[in-house]
Amino acid sequence: MIENRPWLTFASHATLLLGIGLVALPVWMALVASTHPASAFGVGHIPLWFGDAGAETWGTVLFEEAGNGVDTPVWFMMLNSLIMALGITFGKIVISLLSAYAIVFFRFPCRNLCFWIIFMTLMLPVEVRIVPTYEVVANLDLLNSYTGLTLPLIASATATFLFRQCFLSIPGELVEAARIDGAGPWRFFFDILLPLSRTNIAALFVILFIYGWNQYLWPLLITTDDAYYTLVMSIKRMLSVTDGDIAWNQIMATTLLAMLPPVAVVIGMQKLFVKGLVDSEK
Amino acid sequence: MTDVILEKVGKTYPNGYQAIPSVDLSIEEGEFIVLVGPSGCGKSTLLRMVAGLESISTGELRIRGERMNEKEPAERDIAMVFQNYALYPHMSVYDNMAYGLKNRGIAKNLIEEKVSDVAKMLGLTELLQRKPRQLSGGQRQRVAMGRAMVRDPKVFLFDEPLSNLDAKLRVQMRVEIRQLQRKLGTTTLYVTHDQVEAMTLADRLVVLNKGKAEQIGTPMDLYNKPATPFVAAFIGSPSMNLIDATLTEQGVKISEALTLPLSHQHRGDIVWGIRPEHLEVSDEQNGDFALRIQAVESLGAETLIHGKIETESANGESMVVRLSGPHLPDVNSLMWLTAPMSHWHLFDAKTQQRL
Amino acid sequence: MTVTFPQKGLPWLLLLPQLLVTAIFFLWPAEQALEQAFYQEDAFGLSREFIGLENFIDLFTDPLYYQSMLTTLVFSFSVAIVGMSLALFLAVMADRVIRGKLAYQTLLIWPYAVAPVLAGVLWWILFDPSMGPIALWLKSAGVDWNHYLDGNQAMILVVIASTWKQISYNFLFFLAGLQAVPRSLIEAAAIDGASPFKRFWTIVFPLLSPTTFFLLVVNLVYAFFETFGVIDATTKGGPGQSTTTLVYKVFDDGFVGLDLGGSAAQSVVLMAIVGLMTVIQFRFIERKVQYS
Repeated sequence: MIENRPWLTFASHATLLLGIGLVALPVWMALVASTHPASAFGVGHIPLWFGDAGAETWGTVLFEEAGNGVDTPVWFMMLNSLIMALGITFGKIVISLLSAYAIVFFRFPCRNLCFWIIFMTLMLPVEVRIVPTYEVVANLDLLNSYTGLTLPLIASATATFLFRQCFLSIPGELVEAARIDGAGPWRFFFDILLPLSRTNIAALFVILFIYGWNQYLWPLLITTDDAYYTLVMSIKRMLSVTDGDIAWNQIMATTLLAMLPPVAVVIGMQKLFVKGLVDSEK
Repeated sequence: MTDVILEKVGKTYPNGYQAIPSVDLSIEEGEFIVLVGPSGCGKSTLLRMVAGLESISTGELRIRGERMNEKEPAERDIAMVFQNYALYPHMSVYDNMAYGLKNRGIAKNLIEEKVSDVAKMLGLTELLQRKPRQLSGGQRQRVAMGRAMVRDPKVFLFDEPLSNLDAKLRVQMRVEIRQLQRKLGTTTLYVTHDQVEAMTLADRLVVLNKGKAEQIGTPMDLYNKPATPFVAAFIGSPSMNLIDATLTEQGVKISEALTLPLSHQHRGDIVWGIRPEHLEVSDEQNGDFALRIQAVESLGAETLIHGKIETESANGESMVVRLSGPHLPDVNSLMWLTAPMSHWHLFDAKTQQRL
Repeated sequence: MTVTFPQKGLPWLLLLPQLLVTAIFFLWPAEQALEQAFYQEDAFGLSREFIGLENFIDLFTDPLYYQSMLTTLVFSFSVAIVGMSLALFLAVMADRVIRGKLAYQTLLIWPYAVAPVLAGVLWWILFDPSMGPIALWLKSAGVDWNHYLDGNQAMILVVIASTWKQISYNFLFFLAGLQAVPRSLIEAAAIDGASPFKRFWTIVFPLLSPTTFFLLVVNLVYAFFETFGVIDATTKGGPGQSTTTLVYKVFDDGFVGLDLGGSAAQSVVLMAIVGLMTVIQFRFIERKVQYS
């Protein structure tokens, strides 16, 4: 800054630390709660410091059953979440790369029409057309399947636009040089375009992984079979338990485990994550 | 043997814009042809049509007797060096040079041999494992040329390859390109807007203006006998003095008060030209006309004097005089000049053709 | 002009997967919604009857629908304004400090990765009237907190949970915007004698306005369409209809109330709204491109 005002700098740090504390508060509470036995919650308040039942709760939740009406262990649902998240991520990236490639590097009739059809998906988030989409998937017999979990979510105008932008920034001479060097469309795609889009793909991967992992309403609707439960949606099933004792410690442990992978991805790949956010700007 | 023939080659874009009406050009094997002209004159379009990057709307392109109009760029056996070099940024220098050969399915050991030969010739051996972004401008330029050379093509195409380099490097690379081309003996088509580059490199020059070839000839032909005022102005630096005049029985009438005597059968409006270096300093008795000096540019080896022909009326024609060695005439003073008739250039004002 | 390949059939092959998925899972359902909006269907899907615009007339004469619209507006603008103010404040602080900028950023951006429903669960428990630490603390301070009964308190809870998740996004963009403000401008203002506070309001904030506007649109879209999980986990739209946003209502009427025609009519209205918002957003992006 321009002036050197120590107290202002100090105030800035203090405010930021306070902000970080407030943002972290719910997670802190969840972490504390998960270390107490289920009986601790009956007495009317959540304990404020760590208990000693942590290892037991986390072990149970991870390897035996999540509890509260969900019999599957967390590791198994994590696997489902991972399959769904990666399916959505790879699916979106692949079909968007291909369609953006077609739109930028080829001229063909109805090119604009295709562009608009893809653009329209931007206007139709799944939450908005939830009932008819469910019916379509039910008609196609895709309920309780990985295909049903992923396929309806992989069309993405955002990713197509991002790649279009990225491809448009590649100098035309590079394409010409490749043509003179005897590279056809496929060779150009694999030898030049993909390597040049590497960071964009990685950045988008981070964003889409979070999007895929955090899907909630869609898996909730189309899975009724334990075998396809994903971790995030299982929370809803755990909360809808009716018979009295809710094992809060288990719910908190499961919640923390459910947010762990995407949070780890954001923190571990912060640079790519920021790039992905800025690039896609929704 | 004639190597490349352009026969009435023209380009009309789908939106109806006619970039090039019709160009005829035949290039001998091993010849260095430079296409030169101001930006937007169609020189790059013409080059790209030869490369196969733009379709040919009318006419025919033949390389070694074979019609090329419908061939893909890769099938024409040409190589191109781009203005921004167009090096693949994610590939090493070696891979950049080898890519075209790999795509043609050439054996690996043969590729290695060719690349290392060319790298040696261009002094790139030490840089083969580097990425383009780790190279200087001049080195990138060399890699771009190496990529063209390894393929050993029938024709080299250069699209303003030196315009991204600084002045000093440009001169150095210019000489190098000329030497390499002589050594390899490959037919070359080179596009530039820089007339110095054009004059120094070319066996023959094609001056393009608005898609038309104004004149095709050796650099000295163009300098000594420009076919049109456009060529006259474009070739030579500083440009030729060109003045609107009328040809009468008395001679070239530049203004009411000034007529330079000449006997010529042509009558009517003309453009009269003389190069700055051909004007000679004289005195009031022997001079053809006087120049009112407006500015003096001393460059040491030569001096450029800008002024206006002194007449009774206010607006005399502007002129530049180029004198060798240092001169320091006063601004606003008068300088008497003679214009030797052997250096005159006369053009018909209507047809723009040389008389 | 971009350079292109001459092939004619290949681009269709490349577009095929995306077009297929779009047609099957976007256009077909959208068409179904449109169709269903003009029919009345019984709960078991056995019979349906064409009723013209009746579903829409029902919708627009239903006071609950207007209430839901109002709820959505209050909710969305609260989320946008609270979230953006806090994020801007933190971003200004982070922009001031020289050391630890990246560390602060890391510690502030992670909530973006938390699923909305999990954010809802966490805050719900903090505010649970019988055991939540914050609810208990509020009670001891004299505030009778019970979001199961009090509609306004329920609204505050969903706003807090939704804002919490979005702060990271706002923070990142504000910080980037602040760092893009030319140092020389601020230095010039300082030489002109403007205090840090005045500099912010007269120089920095106006220069941030493209970012601010962009974030406003993004936040509104987020609050409209991506907070289903938060609401479902915390209040389920209640008490009464006090936190039922338009998107939640589509789901609630369709899957819980089984009023398929009504839900489809709502879908159609929502699609129109999203379409409008998308157009606004694109206008803005176009303009921003011109700026740079």
